[in-house]
Amino acid sequence: MPEAEPCVRVDDVHKSFKRGSELVEVLKGLSLTVNEGEFVALMGPSGSGKTTLLNLIAGLDRPTTGDVWVRDACISSLTEGQLASWRTSGIGFVFQFYHLLPVLTAFRNVELPLLLLPLSASQRKAQVLNALELVGLPDRMYHRPGQLSGGQQQRVGIARAIVTDPALIVADEPTGDLDSKSADEILDLLGELKSSLGKTIIMVTHDPKAASRADRIVHLEKGQLVDDVPVLAGKK
Amino acid sequence: MKYLFLILENIQRSPVRTILTGLGTMVLVLVVTLVFTILTTLDRATTEKSQNLKGIVTEKWQIPSQMPWAYASSLTEGGAKDPGDIQPDDYMTWGFYLGSTESDPKKRDFTNIFFAFVMEPDKLLTMMDDLDTLEGDAKRDLQEAIARMETNRQGVIVGPGRLEKMNKRVGDRIKLYGRNFKDIDLEIEIVGTFPKGRYDESSVIRRDYLNASMDAYQQKNNGKPHPLADKTLNLVWLKLSDREKFSKVGQQIDKSASFTQPAVKFETASSGIAAFLEAYRDLIWGMRWLLAPACIATLSLIISNAISISVRERQKEFAVMKVLGFRPSQILLFVLTEALLIGTLSGVLSAAMTYGAINYGMGGLPFQIAFFPRFLVPIDCLWWGAAMGAGTAFAGSVIPAWSAQSVNVANVFAKVA
Repeated sequence: MPEAEPCVRVDDVHKSFKRGSELVEVLKGLSLTVNEGEFVALMGPSGSGKTTLLNLIAGLDRPTTGDVWVRDACISSLTEGQLASWRTSGIGFVFQFYHLLPVLTAFRNVELPLLLLPLSASQRKAQVLNALELVGLPDRMYHRPGQLSGGQQQRVGIARAIVTDPALIVADEPTGDLDSKSADEILDLLGELKSSLGKTIIMVTHDPKAASRADRIVHLEKGQLVDDVPVLAGKK
Repeated sequence: MKYLFLILENIQRSPVRTILTGLGTMVLVLVVTLVFTILTTLDRATTEKSQNLKGIVTEKWQIPSQMPWAYASSLTEGGAKDPGDIQPDDYMTWGFYLGSTESDPKKRDFTNIFFAFVMEPDKLLTMMDDLDTLEGDAKRDLQEAIARMETNRQGVIVGPGRLEKMNKRVGDRIKLYGRNFKDIDLEIEIVGTFPKGRYDESSVIRRDYLNASMDAYQQKNNGKPHPLADKTLNLVWLKLSDREKFSKVGQQIDKSASFTQPAVKFETASSGIAAFLEAYRDLIWGMRWLLAPACIATLSLIISNAISISVRERQKEFAVMKVLGFRPSQILLFVLTEALLIGTLSGVLSAAMTYGAINYGMGGLPFQIAFFPRFLVPIDCLWWGAAMGAGTAFAGSVIPAWSAQSVNVANVFAKVA
């Protein structure tokens, strides 16, 4: 069996924030590798640095020291403009509270990142329909977020994350605002993206049941990686 | 185009706020258009011309100017008496008659007041501003009214606005009770009207009728002339083709010994009007430098506040857009374009509505100052409106737009979590 290529590599990353006169170190020399096609769950208590790590991997924030690599790009050294371009097609972000634009229909929300790419209207339409098909919502494409349930809104959020066909999907507690049935459906969908499309997924969660759907669970505590365990196939 | 649709969809987010922002801009443009209408008209009237100049002879040391009628014959020839002296191309004399249709002084009010230029009827079409450029039916109607006036010494032409306020019509006979010329009461017959617009509230009485009434007063009072008998000529207008002739006529009048009691001065119409407007200097200064800037500043703040609220509400959305790959400069442009779109459209709409309502609905802006009873909104207001709306929206949206593009994604989502 060939050795898996790393998709994400976090090298000895430190991240500090200034709170008043105090310097708070959130990540303390953290290193982590996530391979292509892997589904990793990040767990840990509040304040352990999960979301900070996710923001660094997504290029939304920069490490104080250390490097973050996604495939061949050292994203911690990219300029703001390069990062913005990279985010358009390099990564898909799924939020806990969906964060769809309320004035846009599901179709237009999913189309939003495609507006930044040099695509014709018909190419954009084809990609949006494909993404909505994948999340099972083609019949809701002209509904606005307010007309959709939480689970449906999260599906639209996932369609928006995958519409540019990124290799990496990061999800910040994607089931945190959903009932258990909808949460299960979303986790099934993420599993499907990994197994059928080969997407690499990093998911922050507090829910052990959600984490058990991943290939690996990484535990963070006080800004350090304290545990990194594979999930046994039988437990999934 | 794909971004324009996105901007249009965003504008529909809060129709009430969008409409209120638009209405704010429309009110600003309305007020400033009205102020600018008056200022630009006055500016135009006080701007010196270089050809087809109109000059005014008035009393030198007193306002209002009151000269003896005896000056008229010589002044209308530009004071020419020696060989080589120049005569004006055309002339017009003005006296002012203020009367009332109401005999009882206690009952006199704005509805029965009657103001008239006392002048030669045939000069209406050659010397009166705006009437000298009439064409088509309006010109023909006025020509017919002038012809009727020339055959009827008591005939008068009245502005349509005044006629309506007095509840009179063409053909009616009226008795006027003199107010500036006390006891000079006139029996007049309305023989025509002015076209709607500048002379809406004015009237014209024949000069020889006023002179005859002064003579009648003297006969009735045992040869004692009316106290103002020697003060019935207020202005003499002279038309000259160029500046050189204008200066020459000025010198002729200046050096003439005929115009010393009282002394007179000759100046361009624009300087005459400017001198007359000196009385309104503070008001005009206030309109130009206080009212208009205050409106612009106030509305900019209101618009800025509305846009700021909208930007604050949409911080998460801007953060999401950044996560999706939108650059800060694109977000800045989104917010600016949204504001500019609302501002420009509201500005043009307001200016167009003001133009239509004032010029066609009201027949001009009724702001009585100098000899301008009504002001017409210039067509230029369409681009003023657009520029003002865009400028105010831009000024009001720069800071909110900058704050939108500076949204820190990690901070926004940390607050949400």
